[in-house]
Amino acid sequence: MFSFTKEQKTLEISGVKIGGQPGMYPTVLFGGLFFKGEPDFENAKKHIQNMLSLSKKTGNPGIPDFFIRREEHLESIIDFIEENLPTGYPFSIDIIEPSLKIIALETLHKRKLLHRTIYNSIHIGVTDEEREALQKHTPEMAILVAFNPKDKSSDGKIEVLSNGANLLDKGLIDISKEVGVKKTLVDTAALAPGENSGASIAAIPVVKEEYGLPTGCAIHNVVEKSTWLNEFKTARKTVDVSSNINIPLYGGDFAIYGPIENTDLVFPVIAWQDILVSEYTENYFGVSPVDYHPRRKFF
Amino acid sequence: MKKVKTTVIGSYPVQINNMELMKKYFNQTEISWEKYIKKAVEDMVNAGIDLISDGQTRDPFVNIFFRKLKGCRIRDRAEVIDKIEHVEPITVEDQKYVKTLLPPGKELIGLLTGPYTLTKTCVDLFYNDEKQLAFDFADALRKEAKILQKHVHMIGIDEPFFSISIPEYARELIVKIIKGLSCPTRLHVCGDVSNIVPKLLEIPVDVLSHEFKASPHLFNVFKDYSFKQHICLGSVRSDDTRVETAEEIKTHIEKGIETFNGRISQISPDCGLRLLPRNVAFQKLKNLVKAKEAITIW
Repeated sequence: MFSFTKEQKTLEISGVKIGGQPGMYPTVLFGGLFFKGEPDFENAKKHIQNMLSLSKKTGNPGIPDFFIRREEHLESIIDFIEENLPTGYPFSIDIIEPSLKIIALETLHKRKLLHRTIYNSIHIGVTDEEREALQKHTPEMAILVAFNPKDKSSDGKIEVLSNGANLLDKGLIDISKEVGVKKTLVDTAALAPGENSGASIAAIPVVKEEYGLPTGCAIHNVVEKSTWLNEFKTARKTVDVSSNINIPLYGGDFAIYGPIENTDLVFPVIAWQDILVSEYTENYFGVSPVDYHPRRKFF
Repeated sequence: MKKVKTTVIGSYPVQINNMELMKKYFNQTEISWEKYIKKAVEDMVNAGIDLISDGQTRDPFVNIFFRKLKGCRIRDRAEVIDKIEHVEPITVEDQKYVKTLLPPGKELIGLLTGPYTLTKTCVDLFYNDEKQLAFDFADALRKEAKILQKHVHMIGIDEPFFSISIPEYARELIVKIIKGLSCPTRLHVCGDVSNIVPKLLEIPVDVLSHEFKASPHLFNVFKDYSFKQHICLGSVRSDDTRVETAEEIKTHIEKGIETFNGRISQISPDCGLRLLPRNVAFQKLKNLVKAKEAITIW
């Protein structure tokens, strides 16, 4: 447990604060919806309510991450967001295809939702058209995925953020500034087991010390790809959920923890870890937790 | 007469599909660069080039080495933060792959970025001693060359910074890499080398390679010296999108034959082609081959 010498930025979206020195703010938790098949809105509604309730209990902000795979799902998912999230509550949209990302930005602009939107994500696959669309319809916050196919180490992640690793004309940080995104989070790009998967955790303090930006990752993806765990079926979920504690332990600010169905387990586990970190960082570094931090809630 | 070979200096322009790489990340599937190497090699083969490179598609020619040498890290520029050491093969696996793509009769050149160029392009945060840093790079490159020689027909060392400021230990530096190698070697120094020719001629490589197309006055400079090395004659520009005709290249080669008599062993572009559009680079190589074939005395 540590504190950074570099000044740490705290960013805010619709009242949710993210970043700062370890132990100051509770870890922000992104739970994913609609990964497969047709969106199941009834189920989603139930899980979001549960996420909001647990968030209130532990103090860890929960952000629904809407995976949008097809254009025909876009309007209905946005309708769902408007109707089911508390007024002004932030959410993230998680889209792979650049053309669909552009349509989503236009739609979010028309629906006046960009100020609540976390754009997941800007990465080496960003196209010129996507950059234009981001400039025209700028989301409040964006996640930069520091995936560098040339170098999976922490250095490679810094390289893609700072200069684009010769795959882009500039680094992801400069691209986000150029398109006008003022608030950026860094996802350290968790890779499959055997592909230097630990670097996504090791890179968290490196990125925070280099840029002072809120940083985290989807370490859950590594567990999902750990096929050897199939031999330990009853342990899989425990491993999946507990993998997320690495993020606050290494000074990270947010965890993209996979399916929102894991909320019941992830929130208390992360709250426990946040308390552990906060106890030390307050005693040793004098970093006081905010009043809604799990340590304030439970002690 | 020994066959004069058409060849390349190193890099070849291949567009990397970032979104495709990103999708592999999202699906957590293995990332391979072979597709890009294959495109570069196929273009060289289809253009009729004899001595082929891997195209250096992974990175700019300095970063290929900075990325894998211990003691370096890449930030805005490459930085040296610890003692330079060769801890793993850097280019060898790609050469093995290229060999599987080569039709019979085609040969492969393995490429090293020279120690002086590596020294001059990095930010030294550890040595504070340029010469020591250069020699540690040379030592690391010697280890790479020793492995590489088993897989290629020739090793090329690319030292563009010699044309800007050649150090008094240039010969020693290159000898450190090539001493005891079993395959022939080539030293490529682009830019205007007219003031350093005597120093270059001291370096005991098999082939010296220069930009004779962009700097045609080099013909007159070299005329004043006798030397043992063979010449790789830069014959098309690598910094100009205009495609030279085969006839124009042939005239240039004839000028080279007149200057160097039988010492030309390779004809090539002036430098790496990385910054040209792919179709332009391909056409330049095609015309280079066509021009060489039109030289009746070869």
